[in-house]
Amino acid sequence: MDFRRTDDIEEALASLAELGPDAQILAGGTDLMMQIQRGELDPGTLVHIERVDGIGEITENGRLTVGALATHLELSRHPALLDRYPSISYSASLVGGWQTQAVGTIGGNVCNASPAADLLPPLLVHGARVLVASQDRGEREVPLPDFVVGRRNIAREPDELVTGFSLDPVEEGTADSYRKVGRRGAMEVAIVGVAVRLSVDSEATIKEARVAVCSVGPVPFRATAAEESLIGLTADSDEIAAAGQLLLEQSQPIDDARATARYRTMVLPRVFESVVTDCYLRATGPSR
Amino acid sequence: MSLIGAPVIRTDAVAKVRGESIYGVDYVVPGMLHGCLLRSPVPAGMITRLDTSAAAAMPGVHAVCTSADQPDTRAGWVLCEQRMFATGRVRYEGEPVAVVVADSPKQAAAAIAAIDLEIDEAPGVDLASAMAEDPETPLVHPEWKSYQPVAGPEMDHPRRRNVAAEMTSEPEGVEALFAEAALVVEDQLVSDRQYQAYIEPKSAVALFAEGRYTVHTAVQYPFNVRDRIAQFLGVRSSDVRVIGHTIGGAFGGKLDAALEPIAAFMAQQTGRPVRLVNNRTEDLLTCPSRENAVVRIRTALDAEGNMIARELLCDMDNGAYSAESIWLASIPLHLAKGVYQVGPTRVVSRLHYTNTAPTGAFRGVGSTYLYAAVERHMDSIAEALGIDRRNYRLDHLLVDGDTLLNGQVLDNASILGEAFDRLEEIAPWAEVNASKGPYQGVGIGGCLWLTNPMPGQATVKANEDGTISVITSATDNGSGAVTMGITQIVADEFGVGPTDIHITAPDTDVTGYDAGSQGSRTTHIVGRAARDASLEVKRQLADVAAEMLEANPTDLEFINGTVGVVGAPGSRVSLAEVATAGTWTVGPIAATGSYTTPPVEFDPGCANGLLFPTMPTLTYHAHMAVVEVDPVTGKVTVQRYVVVQDVGRVINPTGVRGQIQGGVAQGIGHTLYESLRIKDCRYLERTLETYRLPLAVDIPTVEFITLEHPDPEGPHGAKGVGEPPIALVSAVVANAVSDATGSPVERIPITPEDVLEALDRR
Amino acid sequence: MTVAEDSVSVNGRSVTVRSSAGTTLLEFLRESLGLLGTKEGCSEGECGACTVLVDGQPLHSCIYPALATQGRTVETIEGISKGGDLSSLQAALVAAGGVQCGFCTPGFVMTLTALLRDDPSPDPDQIARAISGNICRCTGYAQIVEAVAADPPRPGGAR
Repeated sequence: MDFRRTDDIEEALASLAELGPDAQILAGGTDLMMQIQRGELDPGTLVHIERVDGIGEITENGRLTVGALATHLELSRHPALLDRYPSISYSASLVGGWQTQAVGTIGGNVCNASPAADLLPPLLVHGARVLVASQDRGEREVPLPDFVVGRRNIAREPDELVTGFSLDPVEEGTADSYRKVGRRGAMEVAIVGVAVRLSVDSEATIKEARVAVCSVGPVPFRATAAEESLIGLTADSDEIAAAGQLLLEQSQPIDDARATARYRTMVLPRVFESVVTDCYLRATGPSR
Repeated sequence: MSLIGAPVIRTDAVAKVRGESIYGVDYVVPGMLHGCLLRSPVPAGMITRLDTSAAAAMPGVHAVCTSADQPDTRAGWVLCEQRMFATGRVRYEGEPVAVVVADSPKQAAAAIAAIDLEIDEAPGVDLASAMAEDPETPLVHPEWKSYQPVAGPEMDHPRRRNVAAEMTSEPEGVEALFAEAALVVEDQLVSDRQYQAYIEPKSAVALFAEGRYTVHTAVQYPFNVRDRIAQFLGVRSSDVRVIGHTIGGAFGGKLDAALEPIAAFMAQQTGRPVRLVNNRTEDLLTCPSRENAVVRIRTALDAEGNMIARELLCDMDNGAYSAESIWLASIPLHLAKGVYQVGPTRVVSRLHYTNTAPTGAFRGVGSTYLYAAVERHMDSIAEALGIDRRNYRLDHLLVDGDTLLNGQVLDNASILGEAFDRLEEIAPWAEVNASKGPYQGVGIGGCLWLTNPMPGQATVKANEDGTISVITSATDNGSGAVTMGITQIVADEFGVGPTDIHITAPDTDVTGYDAGSQGSRTTHIVGRAARDASLEVKRQLADVAAEMLEANPTDLEFINGTVGVVGAPGSRVSLAEVATAGTWTVGPIAATGSYTTPPVEFDPGCANGLLFPTMPTLTYHAHMAVVEVDPVTGKVTVQRYVVVQDVGRVINPTGVRGQIQGGVAQGIGHTLYESLRIKDCRYLERTLETYRLPLAVDIPTVEFITLEHPDPEGPHGAKGVGEPPIALVSAVVANAVSDATGSPVERIPITPEDVLEALDRR
Repeated sequence: MTVAEDSVSVNGRSVTVRSSAGTTLLEFLRESLGLLGTKEGCSEGECGACTVLVDGQPLHSCIYPALATQGRTVETIEGISKGGDLSSLQAALVAAGGVQCGFCTPGFVMTLTALLRDDPSPDPDQIARAISGNICRCTGYAQIVEAVAADPPRPGGAR
């Protein structure tokens, strides 16, 4: 296994174009090194891009763009995210502990495409688009749901590199919220995770609702039936509870090492209600 | 200024905080080879093919061994059941089948992968099927009758087929009392396994030279590991030398041999030093964890609410081999009544073989699930009678003169009442209950625990430079028993500082027998032995100093590194001068203290098959927990935890606090977070990602009070400290959660799923 | 086997990284450099016993590639006691009873050193969260957290 490092994006893309499927992109490497040590992965070359310039920042140009190499630690502290996309900052602050957050990146989290990926639900509710670059075809943009297509399965060509994620703008009357369920107070892989983004009108009625969940299916997803049923509501718990049942219907909770299907079934509607209530309070709260 | 009771810094702390201590895993020998084990991938079955020829030919490989090469021996702590490698059949997932020794760990691992192993897998026996005792259930040990007790055939104990041990107490009249009872209350508690999860995985480095084996390892009980190695190799125990190194946590899991026998064997096979080390998953899969158990308890009550009779059935999972668990099957008989006055009590304690990893000792053996069962049952009885849970306990608490089930007279059980009183001072029961929110609960309980009585020895010698050496194989598994306890006791005797005390590393060639850091015994037993030895050395030194000072030996004091006449500050000599003078005039000055707790009186007719018959040097405790349950997720948070602990005498308050805080943390881990579930005889949790050890954000700061009722035999009255903190945690947390949800907890660990289910029922 | 182009600074000393692509930083430190103070507890980035600082940030060296440290600064436990003296944090841990078996201790010292550089006066909650990636099986954490909370920063913030 070779090790090739670079701090230049063009060089990185050239390596990927040259090596194709033989290359394994390495940023923080927290999942990757474990897989290699366990013999689950045996790439020809590790292409170390952790220090590549220009794809780690958070910038604004119509849409807020988060560079793929932004670490969880950076996401958890960035003022622009804390201000308008706090569910992203918050979920980043829940990924592992400090040691994981210091090196783990948003790009790595998304491309690893775990069914429990903490950042995916908040990114989904903010309509994230994935920015992908290659030497030969330049840049393309793809909606996140079309990029993470399956369990640990992304629609990336071997010569492509994810460079960032752009997010839908957040206006007045729009807020987001995220809650992750684990056993301990930290270092948990999500048993379930629910992200909600709501926009309310001048009568504090929900006019737009986005709901995304993780760990209740092979891929984190937007729960469209639940979203539709939230439109037109105020914070009435019976109707929110009904939406929670729709969410459950769209989910496939399973038994795994972390929790039982039964627990997931019991907790998902409860957490959903709690997150919707919290999000609604933020959306209708004092002017942002 | 006495060091006894002083918050002295432990003498190994500086080396540890600098990362300079050499643990078992850090120990290296030049030229050492690296071993790797092939472990059974299935829980049960017959080996149909085991071809190591490809492995033996791989680069860097020096030797490959299997049962075909092993000595014709069986080893065991109590019963000799086990061969070095799985022989013909495998009995648990992880059982060693073969070993490769190579130049590097990677080469050894690669060769392991090249071994051709085929097993005709058979259905495994788990605890439920073993308990059923169905004649159709396969035998984990078809040859069980041929196994010999280590102590000799006359020391055999009741066992049959898949029942590795059965201990019973059947007093007369129990059924009659149940028949005439005003009320019968019945409860059950099931407890999962708990993995010790010390942060340092197990390792061993073995050498063979001049017909003897030397093994470097970080174990709690070097003499036991020595004996096990000798059993496996078929040699005398004195042909084996075990040298101990700094231990990175143990909690009972490092009392027995693990990698040492195979490492020693391979050192002989290859003629080179050999190192073996577990990766975390191997360690988790094969560690002698706290056993899973099922406890069924019922009590007959009279019209006044007295507990007139009891029956407790305890079924414990032995795993595939017995180790120490046979002795530990005695514990249910000692704890069946808890700390309460209960009439005649029938106890049946059964230890069952299953096709899972052998279980063993973990801090507070048996106490966690037995007290959880008994204390849940007390809440249950109180509720049935409509009596306040604390008042009911106080009304039936053991007092001086009461006896345990085994007839042992408790002459200081009134410490229990004092413990509950002191608990009331810091956490008034009525007030705590009155201030509960809708999702909060409070639990209370009491316990007693032993101080393991087994023998220890310390030789104390006066060095010419005025320092004191202590030669002992007592081990400090992290608790501070050696680097605080023994150190302070000896330093205090000689009037020197803790850093003037040198305590040897454990070495079975050099020291007298020590029964290991278990049962909270080290400060009590070896501290006592070291103090006895110190007093004798002082006597000898005083004689020498008396000559030098032309004084009476009885007028002398040892203070600040000097020996002098009391009240005569001018009349002093340094300890160094005295020791030197003594060495050259009467000979080197040293003395040895040996101690084991004298046998405790009990009624031998109280039970059948009871191998560990008494609870010596008892301590008494009361705990309280306040919890909050989250109605959204079902998670339980321990918001407040209070301990009142009887320690005899505090030698080091920082050390005592560390044992209380650490023990409660492990108890909270077991009760709320850790989970070692078994399905089809395999563990579902296999790494530290899924075996969830509690983090700083999960554990409250424990409030505590220590009670000092000096034990007449302990050094300065000290009794065992390390285990009692864990004994009641499952009990009081389970009581608190039951109180919060209104549903009885019947399983440890308590899962958020259990809590949501209970809240749904409310 | 790759020989890196840039060296890495380990505790202030410049070192050439010679290791294979799959070699972890932990293996490199212990086996190539003989720095045994950083420990292996799990090899899966859970227990934190392997924590070192890379460019001042704590990470789990058991799952970090050695070759990724080229051109960067690595600090291990061996570099914390300058000139033989314990750091103020180390002394506080020792005094507070924050060390029992000690196997987790170097990892905690590294994480806490980074914390105190970032925030000289963290409160107990912040400390507890900062050490989420470090497991202690012996102490139950209270004495570790108190050692840090009680340790006042020296003038200039040095610990």
